[in-house]
Amino acid sequence: MTLKLGRQEFTDDATLMMAIVNRTPDSFYDKGATWAEAAAFDRVARVVEEGAEIVDIGGIKAGPGAEIDVEEEKRRVVSFVAQVRADFPALVISVDTWRSEVARAVCEVGADLINDAWGGVDPGLVDVAAEFGAAIVCTHTGGVQPRTRPHRMEYDDVTAAVLDAVTRYADRAVAAGVDRRSVVIDPAHDFGKNTFHSLELTRRLDELVATGWPVLVSLSNKDFVGEALDLPVGSRLTGTLAATALSALAGARIYRVHEVVETRQVVDMVNTIAGRRPPARAIRGLA
Amino acid sequence: MKIAVVPSAPALLPAYAGLTDPVADVRAAALEAIAWLDGPVQVLAADDLGRRVGEHLLGRAPVDDAADLLVVADGSARRGEKAPGHLDERATGFDAAIDAALRQGDPAALVRLDEALGAELLARGVPAFRALGAQVGDRPVRAQVDYADDPFGVQYWVVRWEC
Repeated sequence: MTLKLGRQEFTDDATLMMAIVNRTPDSFYDKGATWAEAAAFDRVARVVEEGAEIVDIGGIKAGPGAEIDVEEEKRRVVSFVAQVRADFPALVISVDTWRSEVARAVCEVGADLINDAWGGVDPGLVDVAAEFGAAIVCTHTGGVQPRTRPHRMEYDDVTAAVLDAVTRYADRAVAAGVDRRSVVIDPAHDFGKNTFHSLELTRRLDELVATGWPVLVSLSNKDFVGEALDLPVGSRLTGTLAATALSALAGARIYRVHEVVETRQVVDMVNTIAGRRPPARAIRGLA
Repeated sequence: MKIAVVPSAPALLPAYAGLTDPVADVRAAALEAIAWLDGPVQVLAADDLGRRVGEHLLGRAPVDDAADLLVVADGSARRGEKAPGHLDERATGFDAAIDAALRQGDPAALVRLDEALGAELLARGVPAFRALGAQVGDRPVRAQVDYADDPFGVQYWVVRWEC
C-alpha cells in the first residue's frame, strides 16, 4: 500500500530514514547537542544531505526529567517546525509528541506526521491528525504514562500484546478519519518493555509486518542494545545496526535513527540480499 | 541486406539490471542500430548467451531465414590489468584486425579470424564474426561504426553494415 506522509507519498517498496532531531537539552544520546536552534538547523541540513526522507523533531526527552508543560513544548518545536517547513518544502516533518495541543500547533505550521511514542494516552491526537491530513505513528507502551521507565512489566506474550495494541490504535486512527495510507505502527522498543521484551519483538518483527500496516522501528542506541552487549550510550552503533538488519529482513519500512548513512547502507544491503532491491550497479562478471 | 553488430555483455540482460546501468551508452547505441533494421531479423550469435542478449535487445522474435542480421559478438576480454581475463598483450592487435574489418566493410577479413587465438583471448564473438563474413560473401558493404570502446576491458562494437 502506498504510504502517505502528509505532503509526500512513497511506494510500497520504499524504505525511509527518519532522522532524530532533538530540541531538548537533555536527551539520552546527544545530551543537548542540538538544543541551540542553530545547531538543530545544522542537524536538519546534515541529515537531509545524508539522504533522510523524514526528520523527527522532539521537544521532550523520553525519560524522566524536568516537567515540560504544553507551552514550553510548543516554544521548543512550533517555530522550529515552521522554519524547517520553509527551508525544506519536500522533507517529511514528523513531530515526536503525545499531546494533541502540540500536534495541532505543529500541523498548523506544516508538520506531516505525528510520532506518538506514548501509545495514544491523549485520545484527541488521532482527531488532530485526521483534521490536518497528517500521518500518525501508533506505538505500544503497555499502558505506562509518558516519561516513565518500565518497572517490572510482564506480558504473557509481548508480541501478541503489541499486535493487539498497535492494531487497535491504528483502527482507532482510521475510524477518526486518518487516511488509511497514513497510519504507521511501531512496537516501541524499550517503552514499557525490558530488554527481553525488546529482543523478542526484534526477533518476531515479521508478525507486525504481516498486519499489513507499515512498520516503523526505533532501535537507535537504545538500552536493549546496550544491555545485550553491555555497552554504554555512545558505543551501541554496531549493535543497533545488527538489530536494524534483522528488522529490514523482516520488512520494516521506516527507521528512526541517529546515524542516517550507516542505517541506510544496512537497510539497502539487507533488502538487496533479500532480492527486494537491485544492486546499485552491477558489472562484475557481466562485462 | 542490413546488418547490426552489438556486444553480448550479460549486463545488457534485464536479469542483471541494477539501479543504474553500467552499459547505458553501448545499450543506447545498440538499440538505435537495431531500430534501423526495419524488417524480420535473424540473430547470429556464437553461443546461448549471445542469442539471449540479441533476442532481448531485438525485442521481438527472430526469424531464421530473414535477410537482415543482428550479429551479437564482441572482442577480447583480456585488454587490460583489470579486464575479466587480465591482460594479454596479443588482445590489442587481435581486436584491431576485427575493428579494421568492421570499419572497412571487409567480410573476407572476418572469415580469416583465428578462432583458436580468439578463444585464448576470451573473444567470444569470433565464431559469429566469421559466420557474418561468410554470409555477406563478396557483396560490397557500406559500413558505419556507432560505438567502439572497451569500458570494462572487453572490446565492444556497435556497427551497421548495408550491402
